[in-house]
Amino acid sequence: MNLSLSILEFAVIGAGLAILLADLWTPVPQKRNLGYAAAAAVGLIFLASMLMQAAAPAYAFEKMYVLDGLALFFKRFFLFAAVIVLVMSVEFADRIEAGIAEYYALIMFALAGMMFAASANDFILVFVSLELITVTFYVLTSFQRGRLHSLEAGVKYLILGALASAFLVYGIALVFGVANTTNFGELMGSARVASARPVFLLGLLLVLVGLGFKIAAFPFQIWAPDVYQGSPAPTTAFLAVGSKAAGFILLLRVLFSAVPEITVNWTKLLMVIAGMTILYGNLCAIPQRNLKRLLGYSSIAHAGYMLLGVAAMNSAGSSAILYYLGAYLFTVLAAFTVICVVMRGVEGDDISAVAGLHQRSPLLAASLSLAMVSLAGIPPLAGFFGKFLLLKAVVEKGATQPGCYWLIAVAILGVVISLYYYLGVVRAIYWSKGSAELSDIKVSWPIQVSLYACIAAMFYLGLFPDRLVNIAMEAVKALKL
Amino acid sequence: MTPLHQYLFLSALLFGVGLAGALTRRNAIIVLIGIELMLNAANLNFIAFWRFSRHPELATGLMFVLFSIGIAAAEAAVGLALIIAIYRHYRTANLDQFDSMKG
Repeated sequence: MNLSLSILEFAVIGAGLAILLADLWTPVPQKRNLGYAAAAAVGLIFLASMLMQAAAPAYAFEKMYVLDGLALFFKRFFLFAAVIVLVMSVEFADRIEAGIAEYYALIMFALAGMMFAASANDFILVFVSLELITVTFYVLTSFQRGRLHSLEAGVKYLILGALASAFLVYGIALVFGVANTTNFGELMGSARVASARPVFLLGLLLVLVGLGFKIAAFPFQIWAPDVYQGSPAPTTAFLAVGSKAAGFILLLRVLFSAVPEITVNWTKLLMVIAGMTILYGNLCAIPQRNLKRLLGYSSIAHAGYMLLGVAAMNSAGSSAILYYLGAYLFTVLAAFTVICVVMRGVEGDDISAVAGLHQRSPLLAASLSLAMVSLAGIPPLAGFFGKFLLLKAVVEKGATQPGCYWLIAVAILGVVISLYYYLGVVRAIYWSKGSAELSDIKVSWPIQVSLYACIAAMFYLGLFPDRLVNIAMEAVKALKL
Repeated sequence: MTPLHQYLFLSALLFGVGLAGALTRRNAIIVLIGIELMLNAANLNFIAFWRFSRHPELATGLMFVLFSIGIAAAEAAVGLALIIAIYRHYRTANLDQFDSMKG
């Protein structure tokens, strides 16, 4: 038992409880500033995580919890995302009627769930961390109790999320029944024997349903557009970045460290899912006029691109996923920060609300345009190199699996389709005529700092990708590829 | 003692009934009840597998069920609170009516 390994998670939970307590003694007008305290605390924990090393994997809680390079990579990822999301929610605070301090605290509890998910080495921890994330997100989604869209998004997420977790638990029960263990390390040894048992395979498939729901992969993507559209903007941002990344780390752990022998036989299945997810997300995004809904469909498409890396089943593919998530983090957070500031008082989040944005605030216009260009995958921004790495990994796989070339064709088709709607947003910013509102938008300094950080990171990762690629290559050594 | 496969059959039946309820019923509370049935089917599976396993002294199955019951309670609490909030606005708990977002 080595509690000190999970010191980061305990620090996040402690900070969340401290925010809840501080809420009791804070006068109402000051409550929104608690968000800055929360962001500072999470930022400090992020800096502390930079000092941590994980040369050899270390285990805690009866080997349920593992701290290795992969876990540490994702913990830093989640911590950084949470800092920006907390800054964003301070900006959003006046649109939430009551309980803003609870909103901050819930973001931190969801963060703790994600960090535990990064370290999961046992199906028990997979389930508990996933539910910690999901149940807090039910509340975060429906936090604007006065807005019908927010409540509706909450109910839809609740029903479909609970259904997915029921499948997940039943799947875990079947896996446990055959293998008599839930630990990934022990499953690795016994899976070879159990692989012939259809019940075991059924259980694993049900587990994949639960995880596919989290990352919004086809055919479990149905909730994503509605929930992205209805939720408060900071929740949507955290859902797009944190919740999706948590789904991917769990998927990688289950597929490549619990049952690598079985995963090898699932290449075709994963390839089909990846291709369908890319096509579905991109095609449905075309007619969208609501910016958050558009990003919801685009996030489905990006889950599809990342699934390419899973289907490639080599370390190049998995490290490409890590790189892609890093690029996606900065890009999506920049986009949602702009949405959060611009859509103040705009009902419906329509794209027309960003018309003429370059006259109202050049920084916001530039950030949103760069984010769209990076999501579309145009060099020299980060998104381009991420897609390049993923496709390269699939090409490597193509030598043994000719179907891969079809998958590459589908992915490139998806990228071409996505140019249309991403550049449509850029066009709306700079070249649309007759925008009603042309008053300057004031951007507070914490928002400016986070936007500049995201823009700098988008360019840095696009121009000098070596460093993050090396870190990602190191991190995926924890998987059995 | 009742053999293992009968427990598994019962649990599969419970899961099927829950799934059918969750998919066909329109009342949000009934849907939640269906989902709870599915979770309990999984719990029953866990307990049965644990009881019949070669090493019942390893309490993995029991432990999972304890976690699962706790989480299901949290989920139900949040879910019911949400349904009450939405009932205040719509005056109904019928899921078909919560469909203002489309596209």
